[in-house]
Amino acid sequence: MRKYVDHMTIGMKEQLVYPGAVWAGLFSKVLYLYLQFCIWKALFSDCLEKPTINRTDTLRYIIIATIVSTIMECNVTEKINAQIQSGNIAIELIRPIGFKRMLFARHVGDTAVKMICCTLPLIVLTTVTMQWCGADGLRLPFLQEWSAGTGMQLMCIDQLGYGILSLFLAYGIQFLYSLIIGLLAFWLIVTWPVNMFLGAVYRLLSGVWIPVTLFPELLYRINLWLPFRAVYAIPVSILTTEMKRKVIWQSVSVQMVWLVILYGFSLFLWRVGRKKLVVQGG
Amino acid sequence: MRPDDYSIEVKNLKKTFQVRNREGGLFAAKRYLQIEAVRDISFSIPKGEIVGLIGSNGAGKSTTVKMLTGILTPDQGSIRIRGMDYRKNRRDILMQIGVVFGQRSVLCWDIPIVESFRLFRDMYSISEQTYRKNMDIFSELLNLKEYLYQPPRLLSLGQRTKADLAAALLYDPEILFLDEPTIGIDVLAKDRIREFIKVINRERHTTVVLTTHDVSDIEALCHKMLVIDRGSLLYDGTLQGMKEQYLAQCGETSATGEIELEHIIKQIYEGSFL
Repeated sequence: MRKYVDHMTIGMKEQLVYPGAVWAGLFSKVLYLYLQFCIWKALFSDCLEKPTINRTDTLRYIIIATIVSTIMECNVTEKINAQIQSGNIAIELIRPIGFKRMLFARHVGDTAVKMICCTLPLIVLTTVTMQWCGADGLRLPFLQEWSAGTGMQLMCIDQLGYGILSLFLAYGIQFLYSLIIGLLAFWLIVTWPVNMFLGAVYRLLSGVWIPVTLFPELLYRINLWLPFRAVYAIPVSILTTEMKRKVIWQSVSVQMVWLVILYGFSLFLWRVGRKKLVVQGG
Repeated sequence: MRPDDYSIEVKNLKKTFQVRNREGGLFAAKRYLQIEAVRDISFSIPKGEIVGLIGSNGAGKSTTVKMLTGILTPDQGSIRIRGMDYRKNRRDILMQIGVVFGQRSVLCWDIPIVESFRLFRDMYSISEQTYRKNMDIFSELLNLKEYLYQPPRLLSLGQRTKADLAAALLYDPEILFLDEPTIGIDVLAKDRIREFIKVINRERHTTVVLTTHDVSDIEALCHKMLVIDRGSLLYDGTLQGMKEQYLAQCGETSATGEIELEHIIKQIYEGSFL
């Protein structure tokens, strides 16, 4: 167990080696959140006022999805790719330690740093500015947009427990998904074009950019059968929208099923791919 | 010799790679070419020996080493490490082999090397006592103290290789694989690394398998030599034995009356000997 803790700490330290990158990461997230908010607010102010789609719900969803994305982001695919492409995977394979578990441990370390340096400040910033914008005392011009969210309750507090459970499951699904795409490099060696394509599909269908409830009927139905929505749409909806307990448990079960399926598939890919491995260079 | 006195036993090892046929273009009759990297190699290495594995570029050395260390799976044949098989006792074998690739580092690039060592301590369940003892010995022999708290990205290649060597021996492995450990390293550092390998081999009876292009490495270290060319094993025996065989076969002598190993190896690669 201690070896995995070591890998976790190394993952954390690797994140913190370049403080500039950490700051840039936080700054870009703040900017992105603000942009997302403005875009969606502008959309609602004009044409999108449909009775079926709730304005506050959507804004809420977008804010929480952006904050959640700071935890969910996973660079495991790039890591595996780089290792397979350079042949450095060789030195990982001669260790008496599970390669996939090691990757997961590092990823957890990575996420811990992101949570402290990115997620937490973002939560504080969002909460604080939302409270202030409504108050008479402080009216900064560039924060005016925020006033749309004044007094808005961001999360359903009584569903928080389910939400966190769902986030954990989503975290696992996201990791396995990245792992699986990374392992495709056993066959393809270079997977970034695949990454680009799947990345785009993923961003659209997972609900990190656009709430899945806004999809056209057909796309929405197709998406029900795909794993993507289990990463963002499900946990974020549980966090932001009031639901019946039964519906929550249904969503969580869907996540669990996907977790098992993806886990099985990753094991299969690993077993087969391991034999196909060609160590590049020398 | 009893079978478990052997560190490594290899029988009829084969590995073929598939490469896309680029020469023929899109409509070539054969879309893939089979490249036999290793064809039918057998040898055994007794415990405590230092064996040099040599061969020209692309001869199949690295592929052989990668199969011996369990990175690649052979297509055919068997590898037994201390009587164990990778398919059954993978983890047990991995606990007993140390590997250094001169061209790759096992240390975390951005993290002080002492932390990589601690990671090794926990990965290989090394007792605190052994860890301390080894760190003391290696610090002295390899001058590790000077750069223990620096990350590999700030180290010179020589320092990095020394640190890699220390990491590979931290858990007292019984077999040490060295793949071109002295590549790109200055004379002084080379001497120090060789001396270190000798000491370890003498005091711990560690079996060493060394791949190199540097003939002086082999002369300085190896008891035995394996010569591989185009995937086949050409020679398996002592250095002296090779020289004698060469003299008997070719009858050449140099001005000093001594035959240089480098000269013989050149002849082998050119195909005029063995």
